[in-house]
Amino acid sequence: MQRVDTTQLLKGVLDLAVLAALRDEDGYGYDILRRLRSAGLDEVGDASVYGTLRRLFAAGFLTSYVVPSDEGPHRKYYGLNAAGRAELERSAKTWNGFASTMDDLLRERGTA
Amino acid sequence: MNITAQDEIAEYVAAVREALAGLPGATRDELLEDLPEHLAEVRAEGGGSLIDRLGPPESYAAELRATAGFVGGFPDPPRGKWVTPAEVRATLMPFVTKADIKIGPLIGYGKASDFLVLLRPAWWVLRGYLVAMALAMMLDNSTGNPGLLPRVGGSDIIALILLAGCIAGSILLGKRGLRLSMWPRYALYSATTVLVIFGLAGFTTADTTVRDPGYNGVSYDTNPYGNIQDLFVYDQQGRLVENARIFDQDGEPLQIGSDFCTDDSTGETWHTRNMGYPYCPQDAPFGPSPSPSAAAPSAAAPSSSAVTPAPTSTTGR
Repeated sequence: MQRVDTTQLLKGVLDLAVLAALRDEDGYGYDILRRLRSAGLDEVGDASVYGTLRRLFAAGFLTSYVVPSDEGPHRKYYGLNAAGRAELERSAKTWNGFASTMDDLLRERGTA
Repeated sequence: MNITAQDEIAEYVAAVREALAGLPGATRDELLEDLPEHLAEVRAEGGGSLIDRLGPPESYAAELRATAGFVGGFPDPPRGKWVTPAEVRATLMPFVTKADIKIGPLIGYGKASDFLVLLRPAWWVLRGYLVAMALAMMLDNSTGNPGLLPRVGGSDIIALILLAGCIAGSILLGKRGLRLSMWPRYALYSATTVLVIFGLAGFTTADTTVRDPGYNGVSYDTNPYGNIQDLFVYDQQGRLVENARIFDQDGEPLQIGSDFCTDDSTGETWHTRNMGYPYCPQDAPFGPSPSPSAAAPSAAAPSSSAVTPAPTSTTGR
């Protein structure tokens, strides 16, 4: 049996996590990584966030724009568009349903 | 950002790209498209080298690949507008291979390509010749027919030197079997195609010239009697002979000129009433047509002392 660890779980919900991190505020790659980590997802890697942003953008869920910076490099900001918000809502529902099912299941067996 | 940071990023991206070699090219390009900019952002956050911050490029690549690999991954990249040469090749090669094997035994070889490979030196020589001809055409600005040697300014010596040089060069090029990267190779193929078309065009021109030299404009006017419109015969006394009949060695009457006359002053045109030459006696170049009075010896005297023009033809008006 495959042992359950956060890295494994994260794979399935990374899209949702990134969409959620962008819900209130646009952000650039490293910024989003910081938001996810400060929310408690310490295992998220930079490559995962970068790859997920690329994929969500390619799938049409994100807008992107470049913000010039005086001291550092230009930063590519990502934000949710209408399709992204709809996807976030739909995925969040799926997640909530799944999470409560798992909660119930674990509670019944007395493991939680 | 300084140069070393740029170098570090480029190096990291290159290593990631290499580690992703297993992915389809389009997917990989799409994944890596923004990576340099992204790594520049990461580096700008401070705190050590990229490898310190992100781990080795190989594990970064593995994480990236895992991210791209699930939930459908990337959508298929849009199909290119143009069919790539590789696609054409992939479609055609099975047929070519089949034909190669089928045709070979008919001409006594295992494969047709075995025979064609033997012909390669012949192609090198022909290619050298065609290059020489093309160069001569470009260098030579005389308008005449170039002929079959690469003459520049009509010089045979230059033609032979040019020919020898180009053929030797072409053989060397063929013999050494250059390993070219993609674009130089396509450039070579394109140039070869142009050369072959040039060669075919030259061959067609030469063939036409040999088959039908008369077609060549210049030789159109080789008949010196082409523009004769009338004949005037004078006798020994310089008198115009009227209604002369002229025959060739076979007794065939000469049909030459036009049996219509034009009055130069009025522009009036009429069909001649004369049965022989001249059709238009009033146009006689050496004096008018003899009238009954002019036929008298006294009238003819002035001209009889002069050198009598031999029976002659003259070009018309």
